[in-house]
Amino acid sequence: MDNPLLKLDGIIAGYGSMTILNGTSFEVRRGVITTVIGPNGAGKSTVFKAIFGLLKLRAGSIHFDGQSITGWSPRRLIEAGIVYVPQGRNIFPEMSVRHNLEFGAVAAANIADLPQRIEAALDRFPALREKADVQASTLSGGQQKQLEIMRGLLLDPKLILIDEPSIGLSPLLVQETFAILKELRAKGVTILMIEQNARMALEMSDDGLVLELGQTRLHGPAHDILNDPRIAQLFLGGAMGAAA
Amino acid sequence: MASFMSLVIAGLATGAIYALIAIGFSLLWQTSQTINFAQGEFVMLPAFFVLAAINAGAPFWLAALIGLVISVIILGAMFKRLLVDPMLRHGVLPLAIATMALSIFLRESVKEFYSAEASPFPSFIPGTTIGFAGISVSLQHVGVVLVAIASVMALTALLDRTPIGRQMQACAQNPDVARILGIPVERMIMYTFLINGLLVGIASLLVSPIYLAKFSSGETLGLAAFIAAIVGGFNRIRGAIAGGFLLGIADNLAAAYVSTQYRGAVPLFLLIAVILLRPQGLFGKAEERTV
Repeated sequence: MDNPLLKLDGIIAGYGSMTILNGTSFEVRRGVITTVIGPNGAGKSTVFKAIFGLLKLRAGSIHFDGQSITGWSPRRLIEAGIVYVPQGRNIFPEMSVRHNLEFGAVAAANIADLPQRIEAALDRFPALREKADVQASTLSGGQQKQLEIMRGLLLDPKLILIDEPSIGLSPLLVQETFAILKELRAKGVTILMIEQNARMALEMSDDGLVLELGQTRLHGPAHDILNDPRIAQLFLGGAMGAAA
Repeated sequence: MASFMSLVIAGLATGAIYALIAIGFSLLWQTSQTINFAQGEFVMLPAFFVLAAINAGAPFWLAALIGLVISVIILGAMFKRLLVDPMLRHGVLPLAIATMALSIFLRESVKEFYSAEASPFPSFIPGTTIGFAGISVSLQHVGVVLVAIASVMALTALLDRTPIGRQMQACAQNPDVARILGIPVERMIMYTFLINGLLVGIASLLVSPIYLAKFSSGETLGLAAFIAAIVGGFNRIRGAIAGGFLLGIADNLAAAYVSTQYRGAVPLFLLIAVILLRPQGLFGKAEERTV
């Protein structure tokens, strides 16, 4: 791949004595949506944590935009242009929507036009503007997810790592969230997404990546992954080797 | 009525000190799930740092400053690094037990190496009594209330108005989210320990002129502040403040109108009532934890 935005090379990492990532390697193209799929325990979320500096690597290297980011702190990664939206609800429920947004930029304290950026973001999400000054806990699940994405966008990221954005959302809200991601791609933002809703995610993605037992099993155009007969087998619980 | 008001003002002074100590309880709990059962001894100890500095020839103002700095270093930074960090890995309960051991260690060390007797402690505020509208008030009590209020205001301004304070609040509300937003969570937790070191130092300077510096004084103070934090709501700073003042006033009024013998029981009655009727405390928020 020519000049990838993100490159993982032989990542070995895990929790305690348990190794989850067994030499994970892959590259992410610029300006595209790449969906990571794989069975439970494949190491999908773990690989995101490793990229975002929340998990110490035992071996391997990570390059972002041509420079090594191995061992960088989340703060440094945010400043370099990476934003991470983990699974579940990741807001400060007792703060107002506006305060939550302001907090999104804590790591990049030198953003001079933050108030303008917040206003612009609220224009993009009218439902959140209505609730800008109420406690974030009063937002619906979908709005909370939108708030998280919006918070990340304030930093003008080059890469968004988003883990299971559709979890707990109604089909309509999933569509809405995916539409936001497509809009970001149109603006040149690269998106690396984990999604259980594999078919729907791959249909809107450019690339697909299949992880199993902490290793890359398949990587290529999303359309090819979607039509690969081995994928159904994998998601039914069989191993790739047996299916191949 | 006049004597009632005098009692209330004296109660406010006691309550202000309880509040300062209780805020420390609350801060450490919120940011690092530390229940510091040595908090009372943490208030007892700075007075002896000050006395040691005075004995070494330092003027009182300098000794007080030295006492505060040593409190921040030893009772803030070293406490976290040497006791909390290694113990917290094993869970909240082992840490709580370790702080109980620390309280005994500190108490007995002062008794052994300094003195088992109560030592008089100088004060910045003269101990004179002033009359105002028929109410006689100790200037010292007024001073204690003012210093405590100023400290609480400075702390709340720090937490609400400064980027560092906001980051500390974020860590208290949800450290995982704080981490993904690039907030240096470990450093913020350290700051809360340093603040606690400063709060107990200030509380020590305020309480010691009134109750003297004694190795055992931490027992009652620690217990009262612990109860104040629970009554107010352990996970809220304003709860700790309210609990502190409530306990201080109730304590003084009970001593005057009920019985001095039952004075010590009043906080416990309050504690039982709150646990029965409003377990999350007056201002607290119910928390759920899996066991």
